[in-house]
Amino acid sequence: MATRIECIFFSEFHPTLGPKITYQVPEEYISRELFDTVQVYIITKPELQNKLITVTAMDKKLIGCPVCIEHKKYSRNALLFNLGFVCDAQTNTCALEPIVKKLSGYLTTLELESGFISKEESKHKLIPIMSTLLEDLNATGACTLPIDDANTIHLKLIQLRKDPPIVQEYDVPVFTHCKDLYIKSQWDLTTQQILPYIDGFRHIQKISAEADVELNLVRIAVQNLLYYGVVTLVSIFQYSNVYCTTPKVQSLIDDKSIQEECLGYVTKHGQKRASLRDVFQLYCGLSPGTTVRDLCSRYSQQLHRVDERRLIQFGLMKSLIRRLQKYPVKVIRDERSRPPRLYTGCHSYDEICCKTGISYKELDERLENDPNIVVCWK
Amino acid sequence: MLSPSSVGSPDDPKSMYSHPQNNVYRSGDKTSPISVILVSSGSRGNKLLFRFPFQRAAECPSSLSGKKRNPYALNTTGEVLEDQDGDSREQSPLTDEQLVAGFSDIILATILATKSDMCGKKFELKIDNVRFVGHPTFLQHSPIIQLSKTDPSPKREMPTMILFNVVFALRANADPSVISCMHNLSRRIAIALQHEERRCQYLTREAKLMLAVQDEITTVTESGCPQSPFRQILPKCKLARDLKEAYDSLCTTGVVRLHINNWLEVSFCLPHKIHRIGGNYIPPEALERSLKAISRPYHALLLLESEKALLSQLPLDCSPAMVRLIKTCSAVKNLQQLAQDADLALLQIFQIAAHLVYWGKAIIIYPLCENNVYMLSPHANISLYSPLAEQFSQQFSGHNLPSMLAKFSLPVSLAEFRSPLEALAQEAQLIQMVVWMLQHRLLIQLHTYVCLLIPPGEDEPGLKEEELPLAARVGGRSLSTPSALSFGSPTSSDDMTLTSPSMENSSAELVAGGDSPLNKRMTETLLTSLSEHERQVILSIPAAQSPEDLRMFARLLHYFRGHHHLEEIMYNENMRRSQLKTLFDKFRSVLVVTNHEDPVISIFQSPMD
Repeated sequence: MATRIECIFFSEFHPTLGPKITYQVPEEYISRELFDTVQVYIITKPELQNKLITVTAMDKKLIGCPVCIEHKKYSRNALLFNLGFVCDAQTNTCALEPIVKKLSGYLTTLELESGFISKEESKHKLIPIMSTLLEDLNATGACTLPIDDANTIHLKLIQLRKDPPIVQEYDVPVFTHCKDLYIKSQWDLTTQQILPYIDGFRHIQKISAEADVELNLVRIAVQNLLYYGVVTLVSIFQYSNVYCTTPKVQSLIDDKSIQEECLGYVTKHGQKRASLRDVFQLYCGLSPGTTVRDLCSRYSQQLHRVDERRLIQFGLMKSLIRRLQKYPVKVIRDERSRPPRLYTGCHSYDEICCKTGISYKELDERLENDPNIVVCWK
Repeated sequence: MLSPSSVGSPDDPKSMYSHPQNNVYRSGDKTSPISVILVSSGSRGNKLLFRFPFQRAAECPSSLSGKKRNPYALNTTGEVLEDQDGDSREQSPLTDEQLVAGFSDIILATILATKSDMCGKKFELKIDNVRFVGHPTFLQHSPIIQLSKTDPSPKREMPTMILFNVVFALRANADPSVISCMHNLSRRIAIALQHEERRCQYLTREAKLMLAVQDEITTVTESGCPQSPFRQILPKCKLARDLKEAYDSLCTTGVVRLHINNWLEVSFCLPHKIHRIGGNYIPPEALERSLKAISRPYHALLLLESEKALLSQLPLDCSPAMVRLIKTCSAVKNLQQLAQDADLALLQIFQIAAHLVYWGKAIIIYPLCENNVYMLSPHANISLYSPLAEQFSQQFSGHNLPSMLAKFSLPVSLAEFRSPLEALAQEAQLIQMVVWMLQHRLLIQLHTYVCLLIPPGEDEPGLKEEELPLAARVGGRSLSTPSALSFGSPTSSDDMTLTSPSMENSSAELVAGGDSPLNKRMTETLLTSLSEHERQVILSIPAAQSPEDLRMFARLLHYFRGHHHLEEIMYNENMRRSQLKTLFDKFRSVLVVTNHEDPVISIFQSPMD
């Protein structure tokens, strides 16, 4: 959601007139009424100074950070001012907060260094500064302005995203867009080292081994990529895996863009484009109890032009299908034996195999013959 | 992928992002208020009348300074790390108390007792990491009659309150819907107080008491250890106790029930607290979707508590319709039947159901029957040590939850559980167990969806690519969706128009039987939405030679776009399951069938998606 700034204002405590708006860009945006209502939050008591204050009134949101500089040279022994933004009341203004705080810091420094604000001639320079800020921040979300010979302001609107989930060693990262879109040199060294190993099939543990990077570093690097939406996570692919459709599979029929993307992604290299019907039938052929191997033998005709691994990958990335994992639970045990560590229903086969190093088949054999263990699929 | 049951430890070094679990441990729930504050503005200026929790530090500073500081201890409390980018993202684990305790009474009075222009509207103020939300309310007083102008003694001049504000302080990063809910509660309390003020000057009296105690305490504190005046106010003022109770309830159960002046009831629930699965609260968008999902007459309402427990929670003056509904409600009865049995309009049923869903007392399911196919929900907690496993074994002795859940690993219909050797009592217990598992969101129900997809013609493959599949073309024929109930006010339903699906879409006008020209024309009309190629393919299917089959196919064509499950078609068209299944089989060369959960009500079993 775009954070649009409607107005930038500079308010200060005038020695005779009291709190007032000295400059605002665009002019006349903040009415007299509005300022009267909110002035207590703009030029504030000492207790609230240097705090980020956002107040909503009359369908507008004002964000500011009141500053107070005390010195004998000022009339009333203190200079009080506040450079703030005005947005529409519905706007989410979290991204603007660091900018307002930073600006208040800049202005404080400028005032302490060269009396930028207390001198009328330099204070006047605020107007073009505020105009440029308003324009640039609204247009591109970033602004770089030189204030005077020595000082330049750098500001950027950073959209906060949701915290990404923890990346496990059995997760598989896959690029959401073509990997060539990303300029490798912009990433940190660890990420650069593991990037060539992210192919949508290698899981974290494998990437760590092959790229020769410590496991936890790989986890953190991938989590970072996840945060920026560069990759998404899918599960390890095996022919013995079981998947099932989700209600979203219908979007393949309803949404032309997903259709196009899918058919382009899953068609075998060098083959004619796969038909929608074939691909949809393949996805619908995935159901509990059916392994990928079963699918391949049942729908061999449809798979002439479709790469089944990429089919599964796409389906997982777009949540058209989901993986059914096996969770062993030790339900019967005698009092003397130790409580189960991994067979508690919290750890999937993927996780157990990754952590203990045994293969799926081995684990299956071990557990199938154990009458005390039930296996749940979900 | 990651299920909610797989928890990283709070200080997981492998994550440089604070995992949401962290916040629960260190700094309290994002859905709980940090503080409740009552301020007023009037002839005596702006006053803070009451706040809770009290400022502990104010009570006895000598004890704090007495504590010996361990020279090796990290000074992590109260230290705000200055991030160079001025990042307002939380760096230090300030406790909730410290966040608001930092504000003195006077400054709170100044910033929370707003100007009159801000009255009657939502008040929202954010200062660093704290967000204040309230609803400043204007009080109109009849002019005071001064009997004698020459005798302006203090007792003639009653201090008048012009406005007041009940404010809740929250963490700044609280979800907008939580903020909205707190505002709602503030407004409700304000309405009640305004009413009582007009009736018997209740608020003025309470305010006077509060200020008197505050004045008293400040005179005492000149000597000796300062005490929090608010602690002394509690036993004397009912309003203070009410506010404290509201705060405590919001922090714990999320259900608030106050009796202002022992007369007016203010009831409120914070859906975020009462809708929880495992340790996580259901996101507000999920709640909103839940309310919108109450729209199909063929669904059923499943109560999450026993009938007796629910009825005992209702107030004495509750609606009799609600009582009737709760008494007649059943997991096997759909909403249409419920309307008939409870003698209420379907619309009313939807409204009451929405109310129950909002308060976390019920969910929507497909009515239980032996053909229902269930499977384990991907979010089900199947851990051996979960509290659910414990509850299950207590309720159904001799059975353990994981074993039962393992039976639903593959989709299984209830009919499959039945064996001729099993006693009826065991069957009844199975039903009870399934109901229990549905109530605890452990199972999802799978339905069959069918989609028409004609195999592309060999001679014109290019054309096939451009043409939209049937689903996109046969748009616009909506079936029975009374529109959304707005979140937060489940009883507002201005646009709940109920379209009877069978009248709009069932082609009952087709004369049953016979190969009359009328029927033929109808069939042709229905097939016109298809392209020439598609029509050819369909007509060349052997089953299409039977006019009845073709007619049925044409009539149901608009359901074959993957959005209507078998049971819905059965309900709308009054057909039997076997009829439909046979039809699907006959036309299988052009239909693609799949099974998955119903997206309309999947929100109840998988709210985290």
